[in-house]
Amino acid sequence: MSSSSRIKIPFRTAVVMVGDYAKSRILDQLKSVSFILLYLVGFQILVLGSTPAHALRVAGGISMVVLGLAFFLEGLILGLMPVGERVGVQLPRRCGILVIVVFGLLLGMGSTFAEPAMASLRAAGSTVTAWGSPLLFSMLNQNALALVAAVAIGVGVAVAFGMVRFFYGLSIKPFIFILIPLLLLISGYCAMDENLQSILGLAWDAGAVTTGAVTVPLVLALGIGVSRASGKQEDAAGGFGIIMLASAFPVLAVLTLGLILNTDMPSPASGAEFFNTEHLQQALSLFEDENAMHQHALRMAGEDARAWFPDQRMGELTSSITDSLRPISEIIRQESLLALRAVLPLTALLLAVLWMLRDRLRHMDEVVLGIGLAIVGMALLTTGIQTGLAPLGDQVGRPLPRVFSSVAKIEGRVILSPFSLDEVRTAFAPDGSSTQFFYFQDKHGTPQVESFDPQRFDASTASYEHILKSKPLFGPELTIAGIGLVFLFAFGLGYGSTLAEPALSALGRTVEEVSVGTIRSKNVVLAVSLGVGTGLMVGVARLLYDIPTFWLILPPYLILLPLTYFSEEDFAGIAWDCGGVTTGGITVPLVLAMGLGIGGELNVSDGFGLLAMASAYPIVTVLIFGLVVRSRQKKRIREADVEDEDE
Amino acid sequence: MNNEVNTSTKVTRITCAVHPELGAQVAECLITLGAHTVLVENARSVRQRIRPRAWGLPGQHVELENSPIELFRTTVPRDSALQVIETLTQTLELQTPGRGCVYAQDIIEYSQLEPPIIQADPCQETTAFRDYTLINGILSKVGGGERVTETALRLGACVPIVTRGFGTGLRDQLGLLRITIPPEKEMIQLMVPSQDAAGIQRLLIENARMDRSGGGFLYQTPIAAGIVDPLLRIGQQEHAASMEQLIAAMDEIKKGTGWRKRFADLEEQKRDARFITRRRYAEVTLVCSEGKADDFVLAAMDAGAGGATTERVRCLSASDLEGGIGARERGIICVPTSISDRVVQVLRDMSDVLEDPLCRIQVLDSFSVFFHQR
Repeated sequence: MSSSSRIKIPFRTAVVMVGDYAKSRILDQLKSVSFILLYLVGFQILVLGSTPAHALRVAGGISMVVLGLAFFLEGLILGLMPVGERVGVQLPRRCGILVIVVFGLLLGMGSTFAEPAMASLRAAGSTVTAWGSPLLFSMLNQNALALVAAVAIGVGVAVAFGMVRFFYGLSIKPFIFILIPLLLLISGYCAMDENLQSILGLAWDAGAVTTGAVTVPLVLALGIGVSRASGKQEDAAGGFGIIMLASAFPVLAVLTLGLILNTDMPSPASGAEFFNTEHLQQALSLFEDENAMHQHALRMAGEDARAWFPDQRMGELTSSITDSLRPISEIIRQESLLALRAVLPLTALLLAVLWMLRDRLRHMDEVVLGIGLAIVGMALLTTGIQTGLAPLGDQVGRPLPRVFSSVAKIEGRVILSPFSLDEVRTAFAPDGSSTQFFYFQDKHGTPQVESFDPQRFDASTASYEHILKSKPLFGPELTIAGIGLVFLFAFGLGYGSTLAEPALSALGRTVEEVSVGTIRSKNVVLAVSLGVGTGLMVGVARLLYDIPTFWLILPPYLILLPLTYFSEEDFAGIAWDCGGVTTGGITVPLVLAMGLGIGGELNVSDGFGLLAMASAYPIVTVLIFGLVVRSRQKKRIREADVEDEDE
Repeated sequence: MNNEVNTSTKVTRITCAVHPELGAQVAECLITLGAHTVLVENARSVRQRIRPRAWGLPGQHVELENSPIELFRTTVPRDSALQVIETLTQTLELQTPGRGCVYAQDIIEYSQLEPPIIQADPCQETTAFRDYTLINGILSKVGGGERVTETALRLGACVPIVTRGFGTGLRDQLGLLRITIPPEKEMIQLMVPSQDAAGIQRLLIENARMDRSGGGFLYQTPIAAGIVDPLLRIGQQEHAASMEQLIAAMDEIKKGTGWRKRFADLEEQKRDARFITRRRYAEVTLVCSEGKADDFVLAAMDAGAGGATTERVRCLSASDLEGGIGARERGIICVPTSISDRVVQVLRDMSDVLEDPLCRIQVLDSFSVFFHQR
């Protein structure tokens, strides 16, 4: 065929073409990452007064993030989304609703196993103790597989429901109005049980986290395809809403799992009580064996734990947290495998379906290139996050509590030996009282005055156990400014990391395309970012003031129900989808670093709830954005009507 | 399979563009009238929003504002076109500024379906004018239409209607290098008075810099009858009626737009000629099931067509006439009249090969074609 004959492009021209193209994509991503980058580094230098550690490694990681984002997004646009959409259009044409439902179920479940959110949930729950919240502990450890399965079933059912909805052109609103109050009711019930209330954060976070960077665009494209093929007038800008279901159903699934597991769960208690001989058997049921139980107790409670098991010999704490940096090559290898696992099975499933439908893609080369780019991009992106962005967030997040704490925090201890009492001086106060002190060189080499505690002096070995303390940043009184700074930090972190979130930019693009440019991608991204920022502020408030999770979840959703009612169908779908999309590969590690930093300082039992907030508030902002935009657009018709009546 | 796509009928294509809120009404109205199938496409309209400057500074601030609209297309027998337009105008109160526009174009259609029988009272008098021309623009880049719409609005031409499509053509002959050229195109429709069409087109080309490489493609197609949306500007209005309303009223009194001819200068007319080709063209529109347009386009390109732009549309069927699957593709191929028959024939053959009973091919004269030539 003459039309398929190639035009020969000289090599140099081709290089220029590819160069220009690559440059524009990379610059776009550089722009989207720049805010969070400058913000983190600026915060570290200006507020915390330290400089980024491992700067070279972090810089390398960040370049990987930029490249990875560019590759990954291009991969989505060239490969994954066209395949998803094609399947979506073809399925209703060739198959009955039953096949579509089964396919949706498979795809949803597959996506959960392909992009496991377990790692981030475990990270959020790394400070959970078996005695403090046994049910939560059990779901994160012993019953982790059941948790993943519950989430998978939730997502699967959600995608299947979404397909049914598009197939019959049903509105998203009834789903929202039934599902959300139901979830709130169950959550309310759970909030009254001391064991169940601990899993609320986990459940709502699981809903937010499950929809990953590969799943979102695929499912979105698929939905748009199905909704277009079904050709109902009602969903003119349809195709949205499925991500919302994929965030809500897992919450339901996890809560249900919790309710089931709760039947034979020990109640939360103090450590001593929990491991009491009469309860020991029950406590042991949470662990693999006795040794694991001892290790957990030691790790979480330190030496205090020894007192809980008076008649038993406990080993030393075997695994300690290693602070050494993992070699980049190892991270790359691991992340590449994960990227393969995230991209390949799902695309293979879709391609297999296309093959079974005897449909062929016209630009197979493009799709293959796209899938390749998506894998490479994802590997680069996650490696870059691990070596660059997350450590950077960590460097700011962990010392952040210093900003608001008014008491010096114990950093560690050193044995000063030989130590002589001759070195101890006495300082007198005006009222005649005295304190003893000595000089200690800090890490900058400046001698600092440290108070002397006679109890820590061991005369027999002539050694003194000195407690290293990091001083509060703003002195003992200035906590309000400190707390303000923490809120500011939380907002900026949420805002900035969401700007760079790849799944969100895929969603934004789709929205712009479907709305023929009447809703601009950058406005959607902006509205979502503001929402995530606000959500994180609320989430941090939970950590600071220990607000029960339920009271955190209830208000945004109570605002959301009437907002949704007054919103238009398409915006309702888009907004609720945004909620599920926001918490992706970039936001989650950064948010967790911050949450754990603050939570660890305040001895909060877990870091859950932050992500749930980061996914609830964007819905509010996007719905409000939608209402504003639409009221302006509608005013036109109204104005015209009024003029007409005047005539 | 009997080759019914070969039957050609002279029909009229009605295009109606309204705000999505009125969309359901249009669909209902058309289907009640008897239309078999209605193709729906999402589009946007662009208007000027005029605001007083901030901080009480003198002057006005003009910005472009997009609002979503839906484009409805259906074909009806030629003799009932005016009735359909009239019914739509009345049901939707299209004469009120800001509600939308409607126009009819006489085409030749190749389809398996007989043209529908329209159940409407014949109308004697019509509010629609017959002296409009449609300027169609295909811009090579998304966002490339901004300048065109801005120019059109500044000239007070009409409310531009913008849709999005995907280009096929040169891009596909580049192998994998094609990914460096975005396939998305922006398509613009402007309904302008016929006597000024050439002048407006010239200004569009000059102001929107379409005479540079990577600009785009412009051509005109005749409109048999139509009603424009005169609401070009929104926002602060200082008089009881806007200038556009006055013009619309004058049009009504003068029974046409001839009185406002503005590009009368002979010199200008000579310059206009520079911007257009003399060759006659035909706009071949193809509607087929989604996913098949590429095959049609490739076949057409083999027959000599330069390329095509495809858009995604939804089909609302009056009944289960077309299998209930709504996803369609609409391809627009602009070819010189000399090869248009050949291209149409190839497309018709292709619809047999692909066994696409949903396929229909529409041919419409086009003229004043402009594209950038190196």
